[in-house]
Amino acid sequence: MNPFVFHTPTRVYFGENSASSCGDFLLELGGKKVLMVADAFLEKSGALRPLIESIRESTGNEPILFTDVPSDSDIDCVNKATAIARSHQCDAFVAVGGGSVIDTAKVINICLSFGGEVMDYQGLNIIERKLFPLIAVPTTAGTGAEVSFVAMVKDHGESKKLMFGSRFLAPDVAILDPLMIVSLPAKLTAATGIDAVTHDIECYVASGTYSVFTDAICLESLRLLFEFLPQATIDGENLEARGATLVASCMAGVAFTNSGVGITHALAHAVGAKYATHHGMTNAVFLPHGMRFNFDTVYPRYARIAQFLGFADKDDASDDKALANLLVNKVEALLEQLQLPLTLRELGVPEFSDENLAELVDLAGSDPAIMFNPREASSDDLTQLLKRAY
Amino acid sequence: MAVFTDTDELHRVMTDLWAAIKNDREMAAQLLTSRLIVTFHYREPDGRLTVDCSDGKEMVITVGDCNKKPVVEMFMKSSVAHDFWLGKVNVPLALIQGKIVSKGPVNKALALLPAIKPAYGLYPTVIEKNGLKVSIT
Repeated sequence: MNPFVFHTPTRVYFGENSASSCGDFLLELGGKKVLMVADAFLEKSGALRPLIESIRESTGNEPILFTDVPSDSDIDCVNKATAIARSHQCDAFVAVGGGSVIDTAKVINICLSFGGEVMDYQGLNIIERKLFPLIAVPTTAGTGAEVSFVAMVKDHGESKKLMFGSRFLAPDVAILDPLMIVSLPAKLTAATGIDAVTHDIECYVASGTYSVFTDAICLESLRLLFEFLPQATIDGENLEARGATLVASCMAGVAFTNSGVGITHALAHAVGAKYATHHGMTNAVFLPHGMRFNFDTVYPRYARIAQFLGFADKDDASDDKALANLLVNKVEALLEQLQLPLTLRELGVPEFSDENLAELVDLAGSDPAIMFNPREASSDDLTQLLKRAY
Repeated sequence: MAVFTDTDELHRVMTDLWAAIKNDREMAAQLLTSRLIVTFHYREPDGRLTVDCSDGKEMVITVGDCNKKPVVEMFMKSSVAHDFWLGKVNVPLALIQGKIVSKGPVNKALALLPAIKPAYGLYPTVIEKNGLKVSIT
C-alpha cells in the first residue's frame, strides 16, 4: 500500500430541514455575530428564512447578510465582505450557496481571522491555525466546497485565479439539506452533478495519492450519482434523489480534497478561466477525453469502478480493458442522458486561434490539478485533447 | 541523522546544484522563460536560496538574504529538499501532507517541475563532490 494521508475535519449533518439546525451548531462552535454569505436569489426566494431564524434564536443576534457574490467570485467581493464583517465585529460565518459562495466565505474568513492582505495567504499550507467557525450549506450538489481544504477566487485585475489551500480552510460543519437544492434548475443539477462524478473518477486514479479511504468513498459516491443524478435532474422535487446527490457530492469532496483530481479538471479550469464557461459543463466535455488519455495507465482501476457499479454483469465484459471501456461508455451515456454539452463548441467556446490554443495549453499545464494526473501530459498531449474536445 | 550537518553545507550543496542547472542550456532556458523569482526556505538546518529568472537572460542564484521579492516561496525541511532532488518525493503527496508549504501562485512553481527533472541526475554528483556521507539511492 502506498503512503497516504486522509483527513476530514468537517462534521457532516444530513437531513430534510437540517438547515434550521444551523443556530445550534453556531452555539456549539462559539459564534455570536454571524456574517451570512449567500446567493442573492436565495434571499429573494425566502430560502434563507429558516437559517436566519435559527441563528437569531441561538445567538440572540441578527446575522449580517452579504449576498453580493458574483458567480465567479473575486478579491473585490472578498474585500468588501471583509470590511462589512469587521465593522460588525463578526466572529462566525455561514455560507449558503454554490461553490463560489462557499469559497468566498472561506477567503473572507482568512482575512477576518488573521488580518493583513489576502495575497499574503495565497498558496498551499500557509495557514497553520484555526480560523473563525464556518458552517457551509450547499445549494448545489457538485463542488464539494462544503468539505474541501481549498478556495479559489479570481483576481480580475490580473485575470487569474488565486488558490488558497490549507486543512484549516475546511468548514467546521457542512449541513446537507435536500430542501435547499430543490429549486436548482435541471441543467445546473446535471452540470454540478457531473462535477462530482469527475471528482470521483479523477480522485480514484490520482497519481500516488489515493488511499483505501478515498477508494471506498469514491465508489459509493459514484454508485449514488449513477443511480440518482438522472432522477434528480428530471424531477427536482424528488427529495430522495436530491438527498442522494447532495451526499454523493459531499463524499466526492472529501475524497478529492485528500487525493486530488487530474487532467479533466486542469483542462476545464483553463477553458473556464479564459472563456468563463460553467465548470461542471466544461468538465462534462473533457471527462471522456481525460479518461481515454489516462486509459492505458489506469484501466485496471477503471475496471474496478465498472465492476463495483455492476456494469460487468449486464454487459458481460470479460477482462479489465473491456470493463474499463465499459466505464468510459457508461460515462458518455450518462452525459447524453443528462443532455449536457459534449463539445467545447456547444459550450460557446470560439474556434481556437494558435495563440489561444497555446495560452490554454499553458494554463492547463500549470494548473495544480495536473500534477495529480496519473499520466504525464506534454504540451502536445494537451493541444490534442483541446482540439478533440472542440 | 540529518542529511546536512549545518547551514554552510546545505548552502554549498544547493549552490553547486543550481550552478549545474544554470550550466545546462535546456533546463536554464525553460526556467528563464518563466521569469520567476523563487525563494526556497529550508529548516533543520536553516537555509535560504533564491533563484532569480526575472530578466529572462541570466539565472541569478543567491544564498542567504536576498533583496529581491520572490513571486513564489517554498518552505520545507532540508531532508525533504534532499529527497526531492533524488527524485524520491511524491510532490502532490508532500503538498497534501504539508511537508512542502508554498506561498504565492503555486501553479507557476509547479509548472517548472518537468523542466527541472533532469537535475535529479545531477544531484548525486553534487552530493559526492561535497563529500556528504548519505545514501543517494
